[in-house]
Amino acid sequence: MKKTLPKYYPLIPVFAAYLIMFLIGFFVPGMWQMVALLAFYCALGQSWNIFMGMTGYVDFGYVTFIALGTYGMSLGITYCSQYEWLGIGIIVIGFILAMFLASLSALLEAFIALRLRGAYFAIACIGINEGLRYFIEGAKIWGGSEGLIYFGALVQALGRDTVNQLTSFWADFSVFIIAALAAFLNMHYMRSKIGYALTAVREDEDAAKVMGINANKYKTIAFLTSGWLGAGVGAMAWGLKLGYVYPGDVFVIHYTVECIVVVLLGGAGTLLGPVVGGLIYGLSKYWLAVIMPGFQLLIFAPIIIIIIVAAPEGVVGLLKRRLKGTRLEMFIE
Amino acid sequence: MKRSYLTITIFIVVFGFLFATNAFAAPKKLVIGHPACLSGKYAKAGEQAIGGIKACIDWVNNVYGGVLVAGKRIPLEYKYYDCESKKEGVTSLIERLITVNKVNVVFSAYSSGLTLAGAPVAERYSMVYMDHGGASDRIFQQGFKYIVQTIGPGSKYHVGTLDMIKYFDPKAKKVALAYEDSEFARMTMGGAEKHAKKLGCKIVFKRTYPKGVTDLTPLLSDMKARKPEIVVGGGHYEDGQLFARQMSDLDINVKAVSLVASATLPAYYKALGGRIAEGVMGPSHWEYGVTFSPKGAKKVGLDWIGPGQDEFVSLFKKALGKDIIPDYHAAEAGAQVLAYVKAVENMNSVDQDKVRAALGKLKFMSFYGGWDVDDTTGMQIGHSMVDMQWQDGKRVIVWPLEAATGKLIYPKPKF
Repeated sequence: MKKTLPKYYPLIPVFAAYLIMFLIGFFVPGMWQMVALLAFYCALGQSWNIFMGMTGYVDFGYVTFIALGTYGMSLGITYCSQYEWLGIGIIVIGFILAMFLASLSALLEAFIALRLRGAYFAIACIGINEGLRYFIEGAKIWGGSEGLIYFGALVQALGRDTVNQLTSFWADFSVFIIAALAAFLNMHYMRSKIGYALTAVREDEDAAKVMGINANKYKTIAFLTSGWLGAGVGAMAWGLKLGYVYPGDVFVIHYTVECIVVVLLGGAGTLLGPVVGGLIYGLSKYWLAVIMPGFQLLIFAPIIIIIIVAAPEGVVGLLKRRLKGTRLEMFIE
Repeated sequence: MKRSYLTITIFIVVFGFLFATNAFAAPKKLVIGHPACLSGKYAKAGEQAIGGIKACIDWVNNVYGGVLVAGKRIPLEYKYYDCESKKEGVTSLIERLITVNKVNVVFSAYSSGLTLAGAPVAERYSMVYMDHGGASDRIFQQGFKYIVQTIGPGSKYHVGTLDMIKYFDPKAKKVALAYEDSEFARMTMGGAEKHAKKLGCKIVFKRTYPKGVTDLTPLLSDMKARKPEIVVGGGHYEDGQLFARQMSDLDINVKAVSLVASATLPAYYKALGGRIAEGVMGPSHWEYGVTFSPKGAKKVGLDWIGPGQDEFVSLFKKALGKDIIPDYHAAEAGAQVLAYVKAVENMNSVDQDKVRAALGKLKFMSFYGGWDVDDTTGMQIGHSMVDMQWQDGKRVIVWPLEAATGKLIYPKPKF
C-alpha cells in the first residue's frame, strides 16, 4: 500500500481540476458549455500527450482519430437508429465502431508511419489524414462530401427529451471521463515497463533497440492508446453532441495544432501539463472572444508567445522546477 | 517556495474570477444574440451579417421607434461574440447568450455545419433559433422545433434560373449539370435536376468535380459532346472562373450559363478579363439594385416592413464604418431582424413558443424580398432567389421580373 499510493499522487491535482470544472459547470447556470469546451481541450491535450510526451514523436495527423471517432458514432446512430429495440444501445454501438475505426487507423499508421522518424513521420501522418478525407469524399462512402446528418434519427429513436439530455449533458460528461481516463493511463504507463521502454526510445531509439527493447511494440501501444482516447473524444464531443458530420469539418489539421499548443503551453510529457494548457488555452480563447470579439486572435497569439518564451518547458515544467524539494513536489508530474 | 505558492494562488484567483463573473448579467431590452463568425474561414460573411443586423436594428430603434409589445415600444439590442467559425465556439457561446445575456432570440452562425452545431443547444433551452447562413435542406428534416430559416434552401438556388429560361424560351430542353463535389453544391444540383425534370427538360449531362479542381477540360469536353442548351453548375469562386474560362477555350457556346457562388461576385468579371464573363449568370439571395418596394409588396398582397434598399445600404455603411456595398449575407441577416420584430408584434409577446408560432404564420416583404417559412419545419419557402447577368461589365438583375433592373440577354453572347 505504501508503495502504490505515492505512485499515483500526481493524479490528485488532475482529478481535482476536473472535479472542480465539473462542479462549476453543473451548479453555476450557463457554465456547462464553457466547461465542456475546457474539458474538450484538456482531454485532447491529455490524449495526444500520451504518445508525444512519452515517445517524442509529433503526430500531426492526430485529428484523424478524432474524425474517425466522430464517423464511428455517426455511422452507429445513422444505421442502427431504425432498430427501435436497440434503444440507447445505438450509442454503445457507435462508440464501439469509433474504437474499431481508430484501431484500424492506428495499426495502419503504426505500420506505415511509425517506421519513420522526425519530419518524415509528421508528413506521413498528415498524408494519411488528408488521404482518408479525400477517400471518403471521392469514393462517396459514409455520405461522401455531403456527410451524415442524424440528429432527427436520434430523436426518432430515443425521444426528444432523452436526446436533449444526451447532447447537452452526457456527451460532455463523457469527455470528462475520457480526460480522466487519459490521465490515469498516462500515469500508469509512466510508472510501468511501457513508460520506461518509451523513455528509452525517446532518449535514443537506436540505443534502446540495441538494449533489446522492442521499440515498435511499445510505440504502437502508446499510439493505439492515444488514438482510442482521441476517437472517444471525437465520438462524444462531436459525433453524439452535434448530430452531424462533414468530412471537411472533422479532418481539419487545425485541431492537431490545437493539441500541440495545449500540450506545449502546459508542459509536454507532464501529467498536469495538458490540464493547465487546456485551461489556459480554452479560457483565454473563450474570454477574449466574449470581451473582444474579432480581435481575440491578435491578442491570443502574443499571449502564447510570451508563455512559451517565459516557460519553454511549459507552465507545469516551470512549476516543477520551482517546487523541487518541497512537499508539493510529489503532486506535480 | 513562497513565490510558487503566490503563483498558484494568482492562477486560482484569476481563473476563479473568470469563472465567477460569468454568472452576472441582466438584460433590459429585447436582445438578439449571435455567435458571429468574425474570424476563421467565414469571417467575410460574418462581417457582412453583423453589418446587416446592426443596420436593421438601427432602423427599428431610430426610424420605426422600437418593437411594439403590450403597448410599449421596446428597443432592440444586439449581443454578439466571435465563434471563430468553429463548432465548439458556437455551442459554448450560444449557451452563454441564452443563460448569461438572457437574449430573446438567437441568430445562427454562418454555414450549414455551424447552424447544425448550435441547433441542439437552442432546442435544449427552447429558444427561437433563426438561420440566415445554413442553406442545407437537411437541417430542416431533423425535427428541430425552434429553428426558422431566412436564407433560401440550397435546393432552390437554380430553380428561378430554370423558371426564367423556360419563361423566355419554352423550347429550351437540354440541360447540363456540372457542380463541385460539396454538400452545398450537391444540394443545389439535386434541386436543379428535380426542377428541370418538372419543367419538362432533359438532363443530358450530370457530373460533379472535386474541390480545388485545376482542370475542367475532360469534364467540359464530355459535356460539349452532349450538346446542352443550358449549363448550370459551379460551387466556389475559383472553380466558377475556371469553368467559364475553359468553356471559352473549348468553344462551348450555349444559350445560358449560370454558376453558383462565383458569377455574382463583383471580382468575377475582372478576373475573367471581361469578355468571357459577358452573359454569364448567377443566382443570389439578394443583390444591390433589386427593386423590392412597398408598392411591389402591396401588389402581391404582402405587408412591408423595414428600410428601403438605399436606406439599408446607408445604415449598413454607418454600422460597419466602411464604404462597402452590402452583399446577400448582410441582407438576409438584416431581414431576419425584421422578421423577428414582425413576429413579436403579431403575437404581442416575447414568449419563445408564441414567437415561433408567429414566425411560422408570418408572411411579409422587405428590401430582401419575400419571407415565408413552412410552419412545421421552419424552412424558408417564400423567398425567391434573384438572378443576375453580366452585361457590359455590369451586374444586371434579370429575374424575377418584379425585382429586375434590366432585360435578360438570351441567348448569351458567344465566348
